[in-house]
Order: sequence, then C-alpha cells, then structure tokens
Amino acid sequence: MMELKYSEILKLNKELMPAPDSAIYNVSILSNITVSAAKDIIEYSLRAEGINACVSVGDYDNIVQDSEKYNGSNLVIVFFELANITDGLHYRADLMDSEAITGILEKTKSEIALIFRNLKKTSLVVFNTFSAMHFCSSSIVNCNLSALASGLNAYLSSVLPVNVKLIDLDKVLCRVGVRNALDLRYYYLSKALYSIEFYKAYADFVRPIILSANGKTRKCIIFDCDNTLWKGILGEDGFDNIELSPGTAYGSIFAEVQGIALALNKRGILIGICSKNNPGDVDAVIKNHPDMQLRDEHITIRKINWSDKVTNLREIAAELNIGLDSLVFVDDSSFEANLVREHLPEVAVLQVPGRLQDYPGILRDNMGLFYNLSSSVEDKLKANMYNINVKRENAKSDFLTIEDYLASLKLKLTLYEDDSSIIPRISQMSQKTNQFNLTTIRYTENDINAFIADGNSKVYAYSVSDKFGDSGITGLCIININRESGTADINTFLMSCRIIGRNIEYAFMDYLINAVRNLGGRTVTAKYIKTPKNDQVGNFYDRCSFALTDSNEKNKTYVLAIDDYKPHNLTYIEIVNGRTN
Amino acid sequence: MEERIKKVLSAVFEIPADSVNDQSSPDTIQQWDSIKHMQMVIALEEEFGFQFTDEEIIELLNYSLIREIISSKI
Repeated sequence: MMELKYSEILKLNKELMPAPDSAIYNVSILSNITVSAAKDIIEYSLRAEGINACVSVGDYDNIVQDSEKYNGSNLVIVFFELANITDGLHYRADLMDSEAITGILEKTKSEIALIFRNLKKTSLVVFNTFSAMHFCSSSIVNCNLSALASGLNAYLSSVLPVNVKLIDLDKVLCRVGVRNALDLRYYYLSKALYSIEFYKAYADFVRPIILSANGKTRKCIIFDCDNTLWKGILGEDGFDNIELSPGTAYGSIFAEVQGIALALNKRGILIGICSKNNPGDVDAVIKNHPDMQLRDEHITIRKINWSDKVTNLREIAAELNIGLDSLVFVDDSSFEANLVREHLPEVAVLQVPGRLQDYPGILRDNMGLFYNLSSSVEDKLKANMYNINVKRENAKSDFLTIEDYLASLKLKLTLYEDDSSIIPRISQMSQKTNQFNLTTIRYTENDINAFIADGNSKVYAYSVSDKFGDSGITGLCIININRESGTADINTFLMSCRIIGRNIEYAFMDYLINAVRNLGGRTVTAKYIKTPKNDQVGNFYDRCSFALTDSNEKNKTYVLAIDDYKPHNLTYIEIVNGRTN
Repeated sequence: MEERIKKVLSAVFEIPADSVNDQSSPDTIQQWDSIKHMQMVIALEEEFGFQFTDEEIIELLNYSLIREIISSKI
C-alpha cells in the first residue's frame, strides 16, 4: 500500500469496482474534518483483498446525526478529530480555563455516548483514539490539548462497546511521522487535515480488523530453517556452528525472530517448518540445540525434504485442513519466495531481508496478518489441539474400520443453547470457518447477541471431547423458528475443521431435528451457499434426508418434513447438555 | 512528462489518458470539481515530488497551464 502512488491507487481501485449485482461491503466514514481522500484508499485496500467495499463519506462535522443515518452499514469508521471538536480548538485550548476545558470534555463524552448508542446494532465500528500529537508533539510541557486527549481516551476505554474497535491514532502518526501525516494547506482551506501518506498507513491499520471480520485471518506461519530460523547452513556449517544464541550479533537477531514466533504460538497461531535439509539434522537441532527456542511441542508440522516448497506448502495446508490463504511463509531465498508467490498467490510470503537487522521488524510489521477480531481462550488452546490431532491421525491406522476407530475415541458432544457466555467464540467461528460451513455468513459478537436475545432464534453451539482431549467449542447452528406456522430455517450450520471426519455433524443434526420437533416445528428449510472453499458440504443436506427444492450455480435450497427425517443414531457419540442461560 | 500528467489526470477524473488535450479543463471535464481539483493537485505533487504554491494551485486551470507550470518547476 505505502509503495503505491495515489494516482495508481485511484486507477487500480476503479478497475476493481464491484460488479453491479455483487454483494457489497458497505463502509461509511463519519467525521468532523474533511476526509474525502480516504475513500479511494480504503476502498482499494479492501478490494485488493477480495472484499467488495464501497465507501461513503458522511456530511462534514455531522458525526452524531450520521451515526443514526449510517448505522446499517457493514462497517462505520469514525474520525472524531480533537483539533476540530470546536473551531480552532488546537490553539484555543491553551487560552481556556479549566472550567471551559471540563465543559468541552463533558460535551464530547456525551456525544461519544450518543454515537455508540446510535451504532449499537452496527456489526463493526472502528473509532480513532484522540491525539494531540498533530499540534503538541514538539511541546515539552503538557498542553491542554494533551490533557483533553488523555481524558477522552480514558473515557473511550471505560465505555467501549464490544462492536467498537479502537485505532491508536498516535501509532498511525508515528508510522508516517507527524509532519508527513498532515497537509495543513488543506486544513486551513477546507478542514482536510491528513495527507495521502497518512491514509495509506491508516488503511494498513484498519484492514486487518476488516479482514478478520470477513473470515480472512492467517492461522499458520511456516519457516524455512537455514538463514531463516538461524544464521548459517546446517548441512555445511554443522550443528555447532549455526548462530542463534543471543550472545552474538547475528544470533540475537535469530533469537528474537524465534521469540516472535513463540509469542504467536502462544496466541494460537500454528508453527510449521519447511526446509530443504536432512530431516535428522533439523530434528536434532530442534531437540537438542541449547539455544533453540522452538521445540517439538511448538511445531505442529514439518516438511524437511528435498522437494519443492510449493508441493510442501500444498501438503501442509491439506494435512492441517486449512486453506492456503491461511498460511504465511518465511524464507531467505528470493528463488523460493518468488516461486511460492507465483504458484501460490494465496500464501502471504515474507522474505528475510538482506539487512538482517530489519528482519524482526518485518515480522512485527506483518503481525496484522494474524489479527483476530475476537480473541478467546479457545485460540490459546488451539495450537495444542492440532498437536493432539496429529496423535489421533496416527492412532487411526490401528483400526480395521473407521467406525471402530470412532467408537474407540469415546466421543462426547457438550451442547450449549443460547449461551451468552460464549458469544466471542461463536462470533469467531462464524468469521473463521470456511470449509465445513453451509452458508458462510459472518457474524460479529453484536449479531450473535441479537440472535440469542431474539425469542424466534436458537443458537446451538457445542464442544467435542474424546479420550485424547477437548477440542473446545467447535460447532454451531443458528435456527430461526416460527412456532405459529411450525416452520424452522437453518441460518447457519458450521463446524471447525479440527473435528471433521468423526460423523459429529450427523449426531448434531439428529439432536437439532429433535429439538425443532420439541419446539413445535414440522418442516425445516435449509440452504447451501457455494463458496470457493465449502465444496465438501455441497451434498450435506442430501445426506440428512432433506429434499432439494431449488438449485443453481450458487445456491441449493432444501426442505425437510420432520416426520420424514431418518436419524443416524450414532451410538458411539454421547450428547450431554452444558450450562444454559 | 506529458505522459505522466495525462496518466494522473486520467486516474483522477476517470477518463482515458488519450482524451486529455490542451483544452481539458473544468469546462470540458464534468467531474472536475473542487474536491477532484484537490485530489489532482495531491496526485501531481506525489508524481513529480514537489509541492505547488498556493498561487500555482489556483492557476492549474487546464491541461496546458498544468503542463506549463510543471515544466517550469522541474
């Protein structure tokens, strides 16, 4: 983004204009300054990632009124600029007594409260923190503007609703430098404060949040070994001569890189290794090298062989059951990096820079790739669960039939019905599940809350455990029920890929149909919406005795008369009720 | 230089580059309003790596004037 010129962005953005009949992701920008230059930059930064964004800019200095007018947008971005809360506040603040400052603080707080209330139903809101950096960054004493910024930021974090994400404006200003971030000619002319450079950097801060809300988050980072996890070539320099100890200059760079990888792993990001080496040599370093931080328990998958990286990365995605667009690949070789860029454009490729001192910074600058809108306890456990999964795969081969194997697992589903304590995880599943997902509709925490509150909707989630461990909350169904007409409609049916292949979906469907029957339902309608990733469930409803009512390239619709349902009656899956609210 | 100016005008006003001629101005290009004018100034400044003075910004009234002012600055 930073490397593109504004005129290039304008041109590329026009080329990516969504087709008239495509689904649009509506973004509104509300502001008390002129922000028209943000439109094309934010649109392009999202369209380039496959999101059909259309940005509309609200009226100048009309945030409160516009927050009511635009609350139906998929995303609302709010630029509430401190300097222009009242005309000329950036210099007038220091002429005011403390009473007048308190007056402005209180007025602004109540406006923020009103804005949040008006945007309560909006799926996602991005709000910038208040900053005095624009006009006070060179001042040694604290000015009134800084005091106002701290007061307002403290208020923001104390009242922040779940659907609002803050962008730290100081960080954006820091990225481009205050001087480069402002174009004061247009501020005095037309209250347009920010430069094009600022908006390009700003788009980089906002994009990960939006990608996450649209289920586009990276889940796994794959490292090459030589000159990527350590300095040197293991096969030539040998075990004792590769550098990764914080005691040497190069070593401390690679120690930091491994530390960054470990921190990602702690947040639930999977770590893989893909290297052209002798497997035994690399295994020995992972197991025994005193300075190695990434050990067996952190590394979910490894491909140490002499085949090409494209084949290896394809296999990694297949074995982990995640999409190629969930992978980040790090390598020092331009050859390998470009090969992967060319053949697997879905994979995000980071190349170790020639100036090694910049290497940790490049990883840090790209942490947005892993940004996760709702971080939950599940994630922290997840990396560990994948490791248990590998154990399960190994256990599989000892059994004659898959049914025997499944029966030996002692599978147990724990069901949660309309349980508001797991809203973050439910929303996260809707955002991140791509493969076993019949409709792929993304929901924010606010949306899920609304389903739970609605008496005509039921939200069923479940966790799965077996003798190897607990996979956590990994399945979801949202059903709308009309008790008067006796009809129900399955709005969402999804399952994490971690638990695919255990027939859990059929046991769950048995349970659901029974639940709908008990609520007075006689027919159930359902829909399969095709995406590039959910082919595997294209015939799921056919396998659950639903009758196809309509089918085209994009959708299939189904109906089921409850009396016609043929239960699967899987005796080896136990279903119990979790806590219910 | 002319190519680069035309490329910028084409991107800002969403018109083909080869349709830009000496007469191109707010009178012949419907989209050329005050906001687009500002976008054009920013995009030209970024393209050529300098800033226009306030007087110059006001004088950038048509393609031939733009070309003249820019060539006097590079």
